[in-house]
Formats: sequence, structure tokens, C-alpha cells
Amino acid sequence: MSGRFAPKRLSPQLRQPSTTRAMMLDMMVALTPTLGMAVFFFGSRVLALCAVSIVSCLLFELLYRRLTRQSITLGDLSACVTGLLLALSLPASAPYWVPVMGAAFAIIVVKQFYGGLGKNFMNPALTGRMLAGTLPMLMTNWTVPLHRMSLTSVDAVSAATPMSYLHEGTLPPQGLDLMLLGQRGGCMGEVSAFMLLLGLGYLLLRRVISFRIPGAYLGTVALFALFSAPSGVSPLVWTAYQLMGGGLLMGAIFFATDPTTSPVTPRGQIMFGVGCGLFTLLLRSSSPYPEGVGWAILTMNCMVWLLDRLGLPRRFGMGNFAVTQAFLAQMHTSLSTIQFVRPTLNFQRPTSKEGQAPGEAWLDLLRSAGKTAGPFAGVLAVTCLTIFAVHRLTDLDTARAGFQAQREILSQAMPLATVGAETPYHAAGALSITAGYDEDGNLLGYCVQVQSQGFGGPVTLAVGVDLNGAVTGVSIVSHNETDRVGTAAMTPEALTRYVGRSGTIRVSGPNSVDTVAGATATSKAITAGVNRALNIVANLDTKEEVNYEDSQ
Amino acid sequence: MIHSFFGGVYPATRKGNTRRKPLSRLSQPPKEIVIPLIMCADGPSTPMVSPGDSVTVGQPVARRGETGAAAHSSVSGRVAAIEKRPHPWGGLSSAIVIHNDDRNELYQGRLAPLDPRQLTLEQLVERVEAAGVVGMGGGCFPTWEKLARSAGKIDTLIINAAECEPYVTADYRLLLERGEHILRCAQVLAVHLGCERVVVVTEGDKLSAVEAVERRLRRLHRVRVQIIAIRTRYPLGAEKQIIQTVTGREVPPGGSPLHVKCAVFNVATVFAIHDALFQGWPLTHRAVTVTGGAVTRPRNLWVPIGTPLRSLLEACGGLREASDRMLTGGPMMGVALQNLDAPVTKDTNSLVCLTDWEHKPETPAGVCIRCGKCVAACPMHLPPTFIRRALEEHDVEKLAKYHLEDCNSCGCCSFICPAQIPLVEAVSLARAVLRREGVGK
Repeated sequence: MSGRFAPKRLSPQLRQPSTTRAMMLDMMVALTPTLGMAVFFFGSRVLALCAVSIVSCLLFELLYRRLTRQSITLGDLSACVTGLLLALSLPASAPYWVPVMGAAFAIIVVKQFYGGLGKNFMNPALTGRMLAGTLPMLMTNWTVPLHRMSLTSVDAVSAATPMSYLHEGTLPPQGLDLMLLGQRGGCMGEVSAFMLLLGLGYLLLRRVISFRIPGAYLGTVALFALFSAPSGVSPLVWTAYQLMGGGLLMGAIFFATDPTTSPVTPRGQIMFGVGCGLFTLLLRSSSPYPEGVGWAILTMNCMVWLLDRLGLPRRFGMGNFAVTQAFLAQMHTSLSTIQFVRPTLNFQRPTSKEGQAPGEAWLDLLRSAGKTAGPFAGVLAVTCLTIFAVHRLTDLDTARAGFQAQREILSQAMPLATVGAETPYHAAGALSITAGYDEDGNLLGYCVQVQSQGFGGPVTLAVGVDLNGAVTGVSIVSHNETDRVGTAAMTPEALTRYVGRSGTIRVSGPNSVDTVAGATATSKAITAGVNRALNIVANLDTKEEVNYEDSQ
Repeated sequence: MIHSFFGGVYPATRKGNTRRKPLSRLSQPPKEIVIPLIMCADGPSTPMVSPGDSVTVGQPVARRGETGAAAHSSVSGRVAAIEKRPHPWGGLSSAIVIHNDDRNELYQGRLAPLDPRQLTLEQLVERVEAAGVVGMGGGCFPTWEKLARSAGKIDTLIINAAECEPYVTADYRLLLERGEHILRCAQVLAVHLGCERVVVVTEGDKLSAVEAVERRLRRLHRVRVQIIAIRTRYPLGAEKQIIQTVTGREVPPGGSPLHVKCAVFNVATVFAIHDALFQGWPLTHRAVTVTGGAVTRPRNLWVPIGTPLRSLLEACGGLREASDRMLTGGPMMGVALQNLDAPVTKDTNSLVCLTDWEHKPETPAGVCIRCGKCVAACPMHLPPTFIRRALEEHDVEKLAKYHLEDCNSCGCCSFICPAQIPLVEAVSLARAVLRREGVGK
């Protein structure tokens, strides 16, 4: 027995048995039940997809590390986990090149370009999956469970995912028990809530992940789902569907808890989970897509740097009050160092050099200023143009609103017509003439927009006239009459008095519509308008050669 | 109400080896004992004997000069030399070497036992100083100073029997076997320090000691001692964490337990105070656990202070397997021994000989995967991984923001790190860098 030892390592001499490799292995083990369930539901194609994905992840990592002459890091198994997660987040009907493309993007662009394991800021598997998700035909083709596919051919029977039902505000046809087991449409890995929870339990028991992120994430979603249940649905049932539908469980358990791309500090992790939950809810409720887990997690991944700073543990021995005070004091000192510095504008008159014409120095100045400002102005112009073009091209809402308003007017002026069509006819005094057709396409009459002078200004009204020359309805498009005085003549009761009249309507005597007391001027204006419309329709020359040229 | 502290880790305790082994004396007294002059946190003591003098058991051999604590011979015999000898903390230090004559003659000028009813605070402090009692949990802080300083200023007295280090059972056996003395002494201390609450803190894996103490508590009337058992979690036994667990108060940065009206005494220290006060015995013996997978017969020993660790190992049958790591003070915060000739000092609570299957094989540190386990484990609310990154980037200004001076080197971060990054070393290196660069004052 020798009497001398050299201390090999400073304290602590004991280490916990886990390693990075063991953590990754635990992730794979936790995914095994989910994988098994996916194989049960979708057939052996699942295994083939997973194998392709894992192998391509490993290959891309090996390739990149080799080419850049870095150490080979396949042994930490992180590429395997990325591959498995990527495969399980694809639909079972995905072609084999999709996981390869996802793996290339995930491993090379997202992970290795940033320095490899522990340095990337976005979850590689999730980013690869979201890239695949941008291909529209892929991610809408959800396979029906128990419709097992062969290895080579894809004859997917599309199924609606529960999320698309929930997005519409109705419950999916599956019961909660089937949701728990996973007999529903969706990605390979996300269908079986029970198996995912089993994986969560394993990871928690092995202390690979803490409960902070999944707990905060699922808790936030559950809390808001409880209060956002549509009427007629029990909030608890709605919450259960919201939690089990879509990729929420898989995202909360396996994607959001990725150590590299989630905050380091415990408080930051809770904030991260809550943020993921809020973004998921936002995307689920107010985006055109039914699911938003992936984007929510990726968005929060980009905020980790901030959460790490916000979530730093409070200093030991300092109360919350003292810490807040210190924080405010520090902020005050940092803010007080901000000073307004007057920009120094020193404009020098250009002095003309020898051999230059008198104004040439000024021209030089202008040219140099143009060189500086020119690209800026160019960029500004291009940006403005682009925004304007995008605005024009995507201004569907305005167009749709206009169309809706037109239909509204038509339905008031001509209740029987269902389809209105612009006619090329023009007549003096008519703003527009629309032909009204019924469902079978028979012409019912014309809807004429006319203007007449009311008490407070022009009154625009649409008058429906059938083929017999009788009024079918009157609708006020716009007016400037006094509220509750002039508008008394515009009530539906007042306007329905015109229905059925033909010829020239008078204010008194035969074929007359009485003026509404107190709104005489307006009544007269409406009557005049109706008369003009009747006159226009009566004189409408539909036989004539139609002149499409805008002669007005 | 029992509070909790943040973080902590759960190392395998492995106390089963020695849990049921009663404290026993060495069958073969050591041939020579070595009493290092450095035995107190504030510096070396002044020797009172010279080579050739004959000494008896309990005779003072060193006294407190400017610094240090009194030391007493734990055997009778002759002073052989005062020379440089290995110290368990590492390196060499001056030590009084005494040859044992195996006669165990007691010192004649022994201090008389004091009557607890007529004891005064001054007497108590004086006696504790004369007996050379220092913090026996590893701190070696002069106990008399702590007593004098905290008298009248505290409301909670904490007797630390948590022993959160894996393997070590010395304090557990002491509490189990000498519980009555400890409780009586705690009672007296409480009266003289003027506090209302006395709490003995143990861990959940020492329930038989809790039971024994509770039985004695029931017999003693009108005691204000309370015993609590807390779920085993390292580092419960650290001073700040035990105060936080018992009272919920946090010792402010740079402050002492007095700032939160607490005083923490190790259970072995309390027993030594008891002996000094009511038996008149100075601190000459202490409980030491000799354990670890490499030891043939792990035991709890009641050994004279100054016994070379080699004798302890021989009393336990020596090594049955090769040990590449021998430590005093437990495997988490303990110091790896450079030499087995180092003696038992007043703070040596264990000799742990680890075989290579008991600790993880040494592998090179991997890359940080930002799992955040070190931040979640640090009981002092530090972010070790950020500190390490700032150290790598030599960002001194950032380092200054992380309150490095709070680190108590408990080693939770290094323990938990799955990439096996030596984070404690990084933090202490960062402290050194910060001190050198002079930022963060």
C-alpha cells in the first residue's frame, strides 16, 4: 500500500451516473412506446421512415463533421434522437425523401452551422419538420389509423385530424378514450396521448427533464381552454380534447424540453412553457391553420436568450423586495447614462478647386450626396412599391366587403333574386344597373342605383324593378339626412310602401305614397328616386347592340 | 413549520456499511500521535511543550496565542519532536509528535466539572476556549467566539446532525449513543444564549436516532429542544441551507448566521462542549467513520485526536481492494488525501476509501448541452453554466454580475453535470480571475 496519492480531481469525488449519452438514450427509450403505437396504427412503413430519418441524420452529421475536420460526435446519440423525433412528427404517408430533406436541414443548417450539440438555438428536429410542413400536399394528408400501409406504395386514406374539428369549434367524432389511445388522424408520433404520457413519466422518473416546461405549457393551454369552451360543450371535455388533440403533448414533452433550445434557469423554463402555451393558443384560435404547436415552440426558441436573463435566480439571502430594488436602481443608472447628444451638422460650402468651373464644386457635392442617398432612396422606393403591390394583391377583405355590401343591397331591393350581375347598360341618371337572376338563372328584373337630392344632401338609393315595371324593393345605399328626422322616411316600413307600385308615383292623389310626417323632403327625394329608376328601366333599350366601351 | 432550500442533489448515501456499527475504541492504541498546530480556521496555535517533556492524557500541549485553539494530548507519553508533518488538508505543517507509553495516565490539573445551575456565560465561554473546542463539522471555526458573539442575539439554536455527506455516519452514531448528553448540553446552551427554540436537525435516513432522541426528550421534562428529520438532500448540512430549512430565513450575502438570529453547532461540537463543561474533559477524542468500498471492515471509531489515519485503516482490517481515492470529510466536499500519515484532526469526521467502481470513471468533459441542471441544483442560486461560459470568454464584467462570492463550493453543479464539466473548479477559477482583475468590488 503506497502512502502517497495524488488527488485526481477536486471535490466532489462522486458524480451522478448519468451522461449526455445516457440522457439521449433515455429520450429514445421514452419514445419507444409512441413508436410502437405508431407501428400498430400505421404499419411497418413507420419503422422504415424512422430508419431512413435516423440514418440520414447520422450520415449528415458524419459528413459535415468530416468535411469540416471536426471531432466525430455520433457517439452522443443526439443525431439519433433528432432523427427519431423528426420521423415521428411526420405523417405516415410521407414519401421517403421528406425525412431525408428534413434531416439535411435539421442537422446541417440548424445544428452544425451553429457549432453542433448545445450551440443551436432552434430545435433541429422541429425545424426540419416545419420545413417539411411548408409543402402543402404533405401535411394535409393525414392517414386513418389502422389503415396500415405497405412499405412502398402510399394509398393514404385522408382523415381529418381532431384539430380541424376543434378549429371549427366542434368536438371531433372520436371519443375521449379513442383520443387517449390514439385512434385518430395525425402525425405518426402524436396520435397516442397515453403513450406520450408514458414517455413523460419515464423521463421525469429518470430526471432527464424537469416538469417545469411541460407542466407550464400544458397548464397554460388547459387553463385557457377551460375558459374558451364553446357553448354547449362541457369545459372539461373541451380542455381534454384541446390537450390531446394535435401535437400538443408531443411538443410539450419532447420538443419544448429539448435542453439546448430551452432556457437554463428554472424560472426561465416556466416562462418558456407559459409562452409556448400562449402562442399555441393564439395560433390555434386565430390562425387559418388548426395547429400551432410547432410554430409556437420555434418562436419561443428564439426568445430563450431573453428568458435566460429574466429567469436568473434571485441572489441567495436577498429578499424579493431587495432584489427588485437593486434591479430598479441598476436600471436607473443605466438609463441615466443615456444622454441626448446633439447631432453635429457641419455643412461646409464647397470651395472650388483650381481649374474647375465656378459651379462644379456644387455639382460634385450633389453627386456625392446622390451616391449616398441614392441607394437608400432606391431601397425605400422598392420597399414602398412592394408593400403597395402586396397590399393591392392581397386586399381581398376590402373587395369581399364591397361584394357583400352589393349583395345586401340587392337582397333588399330585389328579395327574390339570388344572383346579381353587372349589366353593361347605361342610362342617364343611373349610377349602375344590375340584373337580378333567380336560382335557375331566369332574369327577374333590374336593380338601379340612382341619386336624388334630399334635405341634407344627395340620397343614393337602389331600386329593384321587375320585368313588368313594378318596384320590388327600395334600399338606401347612402344618405346625409338628419338622424331620426330624415331617417324616419327610410325605415323598412316606409320603404315597403313602394313595393308593387309602377308608373309615376306621386306625392298625393292616385298612385301616391304619402310623405312621412317630419321627413317631407326626404320622402319626396326617395319618391323622386324611385320614379327615376322606374323611368330608366322602362326606357331601357336592351335590344340595342351592347357597347362595352365605357362612354360615361 | 419546516421550510426548504432551493436546489440540491441526491447522491446515493451508501451509509448502510457503517450505520449499525457502534462507536468503538481502537483495540491497538497508536504508537505515536501527531497534533498539528493548525487546527483552527484562524491560524496556528502556540506550542506549550518542548521535545522530551512527558505528557498525560488531557494535558494541554498547545494554547491559543494570537490565533489558534488550545490542544491537548490524547495519550500519555513523551513529546518526541515538534516538526513538519503531513496535514490532512494537504501539505506539511508543524505538529507536536507524542510517543505513546500506553499507560493512559490522566492529567492531574484537570478542570473541575461545572454545575449547570450556577453556570454563567463567561464561565461557559472560558471553559470552551480552555477545552479547545472548534467547529467539528469541518469549519474549524472557534466555538467560543461563536458562543460569545451570539449570546443574546439569537432566537434559534440549530444542532446540525444532518450529515448530508454520503458514507459518513459518525454524527449519526454520536446522536444515537450520546443523545442524552447532547440534549442536556443543547438545553444549557439555549439558556445561556437566550434563545427560545432549539432544533436538532437530522435527515430522513437516520430515523432510529430521531426515535432515540424523542424517547429521551419525553423523559426530560420542560425541555425546549425539538428534533426534526428532513428528507435526505445534499447539502442540507451546509450552514446557510440548514438555517433556511429550519427557519425559512436566508443569510444575507456576506453576512453571518447572526444576521438572521441563528446559530448552528455541529452535533459533535455540542458533545465536546458537554464534556468540557460537565466532565471537565478537553477535546481529545472524536468519532470517525472509516468506510468506503475498499475498506475490509468499515467501522465507526472513537479515536484520540492525532491518530494517524493509517492506524485507523489498520484497525478496520486495511484495504481489501485497491483504492485510488482516499478522502477525509466525505466524498462531496472532502479533501483527497495526499498522504495516509496525516493525523485525525478536530474536524476529521471520516476516512473514505473509494474503489474505482464507486465513482464514475474519469472521462473528459463534454460539451455543455444547456440542460440547466446545475442552475436548478445550486443551493446558492448561482448559474454555474453561465459563469463557466463567461470565464471562457474572459468576460470579467459579466462575471462580476454573477455574485461569485456566494459560492460555498458544495459541488452540486459538478455532481449533477451530465457532460462532466468541472463546474466547481470553473467557479473557483472565476473567483480567482475576478479577484485578480479587481472588478466587482
